[in-house]
Amino acid sequence: MELIWDGIREAFRLIFTGNGEVYQITFLSLMVSSLATGIALVIGLSIATFLAFKAPPGRTLALSFLNSGMALPPVVVGLVVAVLLWRTGPLGSLHLLYSPAAIVIAQAVIATPVVTALSAAALQSLHPKLRLQVLALGASRWQAAWLLFREARLALLAAVMAGFGAAISEVGATIMVGGNIKGSTRTLTSGTVLKVSQGDFEGAMALSFILLALIYAVTLVLTVAQQRRPSS
Amino acid sequence: MRLGRALLLWGAALALLPLLLTACGGGDRLLLGATTSLQDTGILDELVRGFEKESGRDVTYVVAGSDQVLELARRGEVDVLITHSPDAEQQLVAAGEVIDRRPVMENQFLVAGPPDDRSGVKGAQTAAQAFQRIANSRHAFVSRGDGSGTNKRELVIWQKAGIDPQGQPWYQESATGQGQNLLIASDKGAYTLVDSATFQVFRDRVQLIDYVVDQEAPNLYSVMRVNPDKHTGVHDEAARAFADFVTSPQGQQLIQQFGRDKYGESIFLPASVGVSAGSPTPNR
Repeated sequence: MELIWDGIREAFRLIFTGNGEVYQITFLSLMVSSLATGIALVIGLSIATFLAFKAPPGRTLALSFLNSGMALPPVVVGLVVAVLLWRTGPLGSLHLLYSPAAIVIAQAVIATPVVTALSAAALQSLHPKLRLQVLALGASRWQAAWLLFREARLALLAAVMAGFGAAISEVGATIMVGGNIKGSTRTLTSGTVLKVSQGDFEGAMALSFILLALIYAVTLVLTVAQQRRPSS
Repeated sequence: MRLGRALLLWGAALALLPLLLTACGGGDRLLLGATTSLQDTGILDELVRGFEKESGRDVTYVVAGSDQVLELARRGEVDVLITHSPDAEQQLVAAGEVIDRRPVMENQFLVAGPPDDRSGVKGAQTAAQAFQRIANSRHAFVSRGDGSGTNKRELVIWQKAGIDPQGQPWYQESATGQGQNLLIASDKGAYTLVDSATFQVFRDRVQLIDYVVDQEAPNLYSVMRVNPDKHTGVHDEAARAFADFVTSPQGQQLIQQFGRDKYGESIFLPASVGVSAGSPTPNR
């Protein structure tokens, strides 16, 4: 119990005494996971829109893959991404392994099925006639999609939050492809793992609290955006 | 016009992705393979920082048990490596996969166990004798079980003791790094084999006492370069610079000094044979 209080105290000390390393890894965690979520959103919403409105043959099969993708084991993702990015691997010439970019890729792979599956569910839960009605009123396809996104805003932003949560809380793949390098690929989660392995439980606890605070801050922003009344 | 702008953003996002990824990529940097005890004690960051300051080069590293690091080296996935598994290292040198193996630093392996010393290992002449007492009393022993240098040494000691611990109910394999393994052994009140540096770092956090020093072989860390003739894309020049740095008087001084402010003594001893006069001599 005492350790938890010490951890909280240490977290405040690290934040307010301007510990450069802690700022750096917090910023890196935020950037990497935001970027991964952004990629997941771009890809996921595109696929979800296609699946929800075009209803291609095999949609149920595709959705079943996406739904099981929500449970994609990060350690498997880490292993596969690492092997692909190896020097001798097919993407080795890009020199991305053990860099923040590799973490972005791994986290995006983990977050994409989450965002896609939840977005598809969100769009499918709209009234099926709504799209037809919007189109009948003279909207172009793009305008219709935009209107439907706005209509499903609550559930879509929930999908974004779930995707971000999956990305930033991930650690197995992050260490595998990032390498946990000081000043380069050490994130709040991999930093916590390192502190534990070094037996520095207070430091680990402090990083954990900073991570929780960061997750809350980001989720708060998204929730405010979600709950705002539409402007029109 | 919000729609047009949104679409434009969408397209831009798609187009920018590969660019962004390449921008935050690591580039073509020296890649070092190192073992967990180096990271858990903190000396890895120290050595890397020292080399980066000295040479102006950037280093990327991957940390794993010796077995994994050696396997990555065999595949040409790292440029230079520091491990502490002499037998496996020599095999790789003999196979021509790695070259230029040089001793960097050393410490000792310790048999540590619970304060009440239920197996009575205190006073054992050798590590093997201590292991025999543990096996005879069937008291819990936690093994790294991960093909690390410490794990390799532990298996050799069991062999010397004439005991096969595999499958015994008192023999547990944690498959964790050096620090974590110590914490597990402490929590279970078990015996374990540990390197003296990690034990020093964890001394205050574990309920374990170091009873026996493994006198027969030091825990020796060596630096090696991946053979550039066998693997393309190896950064041989930078690898050589790194190997030169850690075995140089300056690098050896750094090793000698490491941990002194915190623990009052060196936790790794310099072991480079090529160190010239005026530098700390390896006091074995």
